[in-house]
Amino acid sequence: MKRRALALILTLAMIMAFALCGGSAFAAKNVSLTIFNSKMEIQSQMEEMAEEYSSTHDVDVEVYYSSDTVAAHMSTKYASNDPYVISMVDAKDIFSLGPDHAIDLSDQDWVKETSQAISVDGKVLGFPVCVEARGILYNADAIEKVTGEAFDPASVRTTEDFQALIDKLVAGGMETPTGLQKEDWSLGAHYLQQVYEMQPDPDAFIAGIKDGSVKLAEDPVFNALMDTFDVMKENNWKKDAPLSAVREDTEMMLAEGEIAFKFGGNWDWANISAFDYTENMGMMPVPSALDEYNTKLVGGGSKYFFIDNTVSEEQQQAAKDFLNWLVFDEAGQDFLVNTCALVPAFANITLPVSDPLGASVKSFADTDSLIADYRYAPDDHYAKNGISFQKYLAGQIDRAGLAAEITEYWATAEVGAH
Amino acid sequence: MFAGPGTALFLCVVIVPFLYGLYLTLTSWDGVSLSKPFVGFQNFAAAFKDTTYWQAMGRTVIYSIFAVILINIVAFALAFLVTSGVKGQNFFRAGFFVPNLIGGIVLGYVWQFVFNRAFVAIGNLFSGGTTVSLLSTPNGAMFCLILVSVWQYAGYMMLIYVAGFMSVSKDVQEAAMIDGCTSAQAMKNVTIPLMRSSFVQCIFLSITRCFVVYDVNLSLTKGEPFGSSVMAAMHVYNQAFTYKNYGLGQAEAVILFLVCAIVGVTQVLVGKRGEVEA
Repeated sequence: MKRRALALILTLAMIMAFALCGGSAFAAKNVSLTIFNSKMEIQSQMEEMAEEYSSTHDVDVEVYYSSDTVAAHMSTKYASNDPYVISMVDAKDIFSLGPDHAIDLSDQDWVKETSQAISVDGKVLGFPVCVEARGILYNADAIEKVTGEAFDPASVRTTEDFQALIDKLVAGGMETPTGLQKEDWSLGAHYLQQVYEMQPDPDAFIAGIKDGSVKLAEDPVFNALMDTFDVMKENNWKKDAPLSAVREDTEMMLAEGEIAFKFGGNWDWANISAFDYTENMGMMPVPSALDEYNTKLVGGGSKYFFIDNTVSEEQQQAAKDFLNWLVFDEAGQDFLVNTCALVPAFANITLPVSDPLGASVKSFADTDSLIADYRYAPDDHYAKNGISFQKYLAGQIDRAGLAAEITEYWATAEVGAH
Repeated sequence: MFAGPGTALFLCVVIVPFLYGLYLTLTSWDGVSLSKPFVGFQNFAAAFKDTTYWQAMGRTVIYSIFAVILINIVAFALAFLVTSGVKGQNFFRAGFFVPNLIGGIVLGYVWQFVFNRAFVAIGNLFSGGTTVSLLSTPNGAMFCLILVSVWQYAGYMMLIYVAGFMSVSKDVQEAAMIDGCTSAQAMKNVTIPLMRSSFVQCIFLSITRCFVVYDVNLSLTKGEPFGSSVMAAMHVYNQAFTYKNYGLGQAEAVILFLVCAIVGVTQVLVGKRGEVEA
């Protein structure tokens, strides 16, 4: 009898536990809005915003971040059938995930305000979070301090100009004026992809590498960009151990004027602003022998929100409201432009971009001087070619070896659908 | 009846996912799309042709050999030390076990800091600023991985060896000494043979853990430099999730499981055969 009583008590306890769990879920607001953020540098801002937004709206916003790559994290979430309501992904992920998982946003008001939204089969699926561009970051204060003359980024067009300026800096006492990141995305996605982006027809170029009609090692764009890369590599402050360069260290060196140039993008500002930076910084195009491209940054809409199509109607509506808040509400605009220091992709947002790198990007965007991102590289492109590029950076292979490895990669890789 | 709930749970969380995973190896699913096209055994054929996978596997074997041997030597030595009656041996027991309580991810980041900053700073102090982090060279990264694994697991294995030492009764040791053994001989001929089951357990545990190492690999080296420290499990994860070849990644995971199971079980069978009792 005692045993039966014990069993009964345990059963009751279990039921109570279940009831309590259920109860607490009901006590919260009934619409939960989960947001996946893939921009590490704005995670804390997003979290604060979530708290603020939850207290002023009838939703429960929660922001998540993963140090995993975006595509990998989304795969694990969809493999376990546990999607976020709103996910921030890269442009290529909208093409791969969107058709199956995103709702159509064509009827939203913000669509008219941007040229950067992504549509697949005539449906708007991706909301552009910001405009971002890649190029060379410079610290004009540091340069002027060494050379004693005013620095005009437009005067550095070709690799020779760049080399001459660096020589001058070295002679003036700045021993290592450049910084390079070792991350595979910086090398494999950002630097290498310029080789495709600066072709008249990137798709045809890649098809050419695949069928052998384009010899990468002899390609003028590849060689022009690698010439500049060599100059940066030669003068890298971590030249002795380029693969142990920590991103934040390089950014700090640039911020404090220890080095003058770094390859990167305006997203670096979120980190740079944490250091004791000098005011006169900006972005300039990667110098090269390519006359039609050395006056432009590479970029466009970057990071896209999409809304999952399996969540409840209320959640979808709350998600749409949130996107509208970002574009049309003053608080939302302020959050994008001032709190997160992003360059907005919407024409109706007229707040001045506060940070110098973003301001550079905006001036290039306003004068139509952005080279479009190539968005259809396969998912393993940046990782595998990033490894090859790291070998090059560390001096394990030469330029011909790098070209051979990239060509070998493309022999079996397929460009994403578009 | 009594095993019912346990069996049901085991079925739900182990057997069913395992079978479903096996099914996924027969599809060319990319991990996110709604359709899972059936492709038969193509993924296994592709897995055998995936040279980077076999490189990662070879690397894992080398890593495991070194790590398993070192873990067990260090663990045995520690166990001997903390059962020999040194002052404060309970404190030492706890101390050596602590690394095992820190999760692999945290541990990896802590050591990454140590290798990249602390050691480099100390090196610079002596050499005048030319020290390169161990983690930036392929062999160095492998060495770091082995070192950290040994540091992590030695304390855990030590506990099993401690239990082994305690289970050997003092009587037999004393008997051996009276018969004229030196203490080293008593250790070699009496204690160690009686502790054989501890060795079998420890080696089994360390082999299986080393073969599927992922967390330390991820946080300490992330596969760098240039992919030279990607272990088999990390390659499987990349293949399935980063490169979006879920079916292929799953097939490679099954192969890894089989290799690991065969090595582990063989080791146990061989080890058990020679067990003796007092």
